[in-house]
Amino acid sequence: MKKQKNIRNFSIIAHIDHGKSTLADRLLEQCEAVTQREMEEQLLDNMDLERERGITIKARAVTMDYKADDGETYQINLIDTPGHVDFNYEVSRSLAACEGAVLVVDASQGVEAQTLANTYLALDHNLEILPVFNKIDLPAADPKKAKQEVEDIIGLPSMDAPEISAKMGTNIRAVMEDIVANIPAPEGDETAPLRALIFDSQYDPYVGVIVLMRLMEGTIKPGMKVKMMATGAEFQVLECGYLRPLSMEPAPMLRAGEVGYFTASIKNVKDTRVGDTVTGVDEPAAEALPGYRPARPMVYCGIYTEDGSKYPDLRDALEKLQLNDAALSFEPESSVALGFGFRCGFLGMLHMEIIQERLEREFNLDLVTTLPSVIYEIIKTDGTTVYVDNPHDYPSPDVIDEAREPYVKASIIAPPDFVGNIMPMCQERRGVFKDMQYLDTNLVELHYEMPLNEIIYDFFDALKAKTKGYASLDYEMSDYRKSDLVKIDMLLNGDQVDALSFIAHREKAYGRARRICEKLKENIPRQLFEVPVQAAIGGKVIARETVKAMRKDVLAKCYGGDITRKKKLLEKQKEGKKKMRSLGTVQLPTEAFMAVLKLDEE
Amino acid sequence: MRSKFGLYLHVPFCASKCRYCDFYSYPPSAGEMDVYVDALCRCMAGWAADAAGETADTVYLGGGTPSLLGAERLSKIIEKARTCFSLTPDAEITVECNPDSMTDALLDGLRRAGVNRLSVGVQSAHDDELALLGRRHTFAEAAEAIGHARTHGFDNLSLDLMYGLPGQTAARFLKSVDALLEFHPEHLSCYGLKLEPGTPMGRENPTLPDDDAQADLYLALCARLRAADYEHYEISNWARPGRRSRHNSKYWDLTPYLGLGPGAHSLWRGKRFAYPRDTGRFLAGGAPEPEEETPDFPAWAEYLMLALRTADGISGAAFSERFGMDFAPFEKRLRDLSASGLTEKTANGWRLTEPGFLVSNSIINYVIQ
Repeated sequence: MKKQKNIRNFSIIAHIDHGKSTLADRLLEQCEAVTQREMEEQLLDNMDLERERGITIKARAVTMDYKADDGETYQINLIDTPGHVDFNYEVSRSLAACEGAVLVVDASQGVEAQTLANTYLALDHNLEILPVFNKIDLPAADPKKAKQEVEDIIGLPSMDAPEISAKMGTNIRAVMEDIVANIPAPEGDETAPLRALIFDSQYDPYVGVIVLMRLMEGTIKPGMKVKMMATGAEFQVLECGYLRPLSMEPAPMLRAGEVGYFTASIKNVKDTRVGDTVTGVDEPAAEALPGYRPARPMVYCGIYTEDGSKYPDLRDALEKLQLNDAALSFEPESSVALGFGFRCGFLGMLHMEIIQERLEREFNLDLVTTLPSVIYEIIKTDGTTVYVDNPHDYPSPDVIDEAREPYVKASIIAPPDFVGNIMPMCQERRGVFKDMQYLDTNLVELHYEMPLNEIIYDFFDALKAKTKGYASLDYEMSDYRKSDLVKIDMLLNGDQVDALSFIAHREKAYGRARRICEKLKENIPRQLFEVPVQAAIGGKVIARETVKAMRKDVLAKCYGGDITRKKKLLEKQKEGKKKMRSLGTVQLPTEAFMAVLKLDEE
Repeated sequence: MRSKFGLYLHVPFCASKCRYCDFYSYPPSAGEMDVYVDALCRCMAGWAADAAGETADTVYLGGGTPSLLGAERLSKIIEKARTCFSLTPDAEITVECNPDSMTDALLDGLRRAGVNRLSVGVQSAHDDELALLGRRHTFAEAAEAIGHARTHGFDNLSLDLMYGLPGQTAARFLKSVDALLEFHPEHLSCYGLKLEPGTPMGRENPTLPDDDAQADLYLALCARLRAADYEHYEISNWARPGRRSRHNSKYWDLTPYLGLGPGAHSLWRGKRFAYPRDTGRFLAGGAPEPEEETPDFPAWAEYLMLALRTADGISGAAFSERFGMDFAPFEKRLRDLSASGLTEKTANGWRLTEPGFLVSNSIINYVIQ
């Protein structure tokens, strides 16, 4: 148990690749929180996927004990943050649990877009920001120049900031001393009713949900009845304690200012939402902590298994992932083309990709997915409102009074040189320009209002590509706006392929339909007869391609009565056909679906 | 066995390997041909008892290059075949010949041995194409060889021709066709070039005319031969009336055939088996091995596949009688395809059209699904 004055709660923020995770590893070593043998590179990012992508998917926290130069021992709590716009809400909750942030700046690169965006986010939470200049081992490192940039652009005093090499382990202790000296200790009344901010929760098959929290006020201990103020769920605490790098360390009690966990045989992370406030049942707090927002899926798509018989496996896998991911939603759906699958909801495109990748990697499933969709709001002529996230459910145009699509407020920060690339991109995606501000001579911030539909396909990737990775994007839902929407159906040989239908703005419909027709034409193998590929709005065909009839097979000779060779050839051909999906009379390989999905990557 | 069987005798030797060929053949070492002929004769003797009571009406010496053996050895083989098996007096006896080995002595000897049909690998009328294929002769030499054959009284000649060679245009290919027609062959076999892995051409992997171009070549060939009164009786085979290959026809109508020699295939007493592609094992008296099972291909599917290769096509009545199965589902699929011009109705069933022959694999798999 520590007095509050000996507690420090902080996050590390950085532009991508500036060395955030490596520094975290070194700090752990510095506190001897983990022995060298136990030390794995980038310990905090402990999912395989995180390591490979170099991003942090789920927030994690760790408590270390540090014996400082002043002779005192401090409880240092490091709360790691995810680094993508899909998870901005989770980042904000992690920052809300801290009093300070270590800003890692690559001494060879200086200030970059995310350096700034992350700094602003941290300032929004009134955090004390400590700059640290990393990678001084690099020949190109110029800490002086980087420091000057931080002072000029961000306005943070930097001249005395530690110059370190996280990779080589140089000067790490200076960072710890800086944290102890300059990040304020938490303040919070231990005797007040419990208020703890949930910044993460993870499902464990043995103990149920492990809730990660920062105690703002009051105390928590085993046996205590607690209540989640937003969801209303009540539990009895079984265990509470500290998160050590490699284990959980139970404690008799946690107090205001501390970071830790509790378990209470909770079966589902849905009951313990990030941002919610934990309070006591017997002595409840009057008010929840500010800033709670329920996780709401913004993007939907259909997920199917390539092999239809794996449907139950897919269901099991989704259920398992959902235990740990309250933002993931799914419900069964079926498609003529793809069989049985699930309509799944995600926070954004990265979240969607991560889930798909985890399904394939951790559960060994081969997936077929449909085009992602946002949620449309449709006012029908009878006055009722329906929300549609699946083209299949889109009402017939004659019963639609008004169709609306979700818009977001997007903020893009980039060096001024790229503004000329960014503006046409946003324009093309129906973005409405609001304003542009110079944050500094080297950075501008552009504000746009854009349909979410335009962002979900490829905007983030395209933005990165057009700005050499310098731009950062942030967006938040703003409102629904009236839009000229149409549903486009794809027809093969006259038969509608339900899994390929999509909803688009009328102006975008034609171009997109034509590209999908072309893609299908390229990816549908020639059949025994000509196959028309059409895109239609209602009954009206707006684009058409033709897969010409196959004209020639391999005419292997039946030489010397070797009929078996011929039969084997035919069996091989037949085997190939089995991998295809039959749609009416047309055989369609899975790649055709995938090609349509990847349309915008080119 | 109700019908007369066919006897196939394999000769695994070639003077040199053509650059596209992946069949089992190789240049023989000194003395190997004599040893082989003895082994083949012993093999025939070994089958004599099994075949007693059956009559063969075709004998086919294929390879490889049977003509490489020379008149004496070939005569010995044919002589032995007559003593081991009951051959009808009018049996069709075919020997595959390479133009470079069709000497007067050979042709004379073959006539005397009772050979009445020659199959000659001409392949192209253009010397550059012949060189590309690694053939051992020019077109002039092939023409001369064919002339010799005619002089020696061979009135049943089959010529082989290839299409779809790298860079081949329709005009150039039809020049070859016309050049071959000048010889008034009784029979023509035309095959598309296929690049096989493990062959020199397969390794070079030259660009062949694309599928559409190859289809055009094939259809142009069909039209040209139709105009010249040839009957297109099987996907790759054309004949003057009454001059179909009786031996090859057995492969397509499930008539028994006995194939002897390394790599030779048999359909004998309802079983398919083959000698391993290994001359050494054959010389040592190695037995044939059953063909690999093709579980997706029951007998009825095999029958359908083979029948649809021919212009006679498939008879629904014959099919139902043979397998006790309803032909209707197959007939429906065949009828569906007629809309695209790939199949057509015959007096008692269905057959593939020439555009249908080109996609026969896909049609067969569609029909037997």
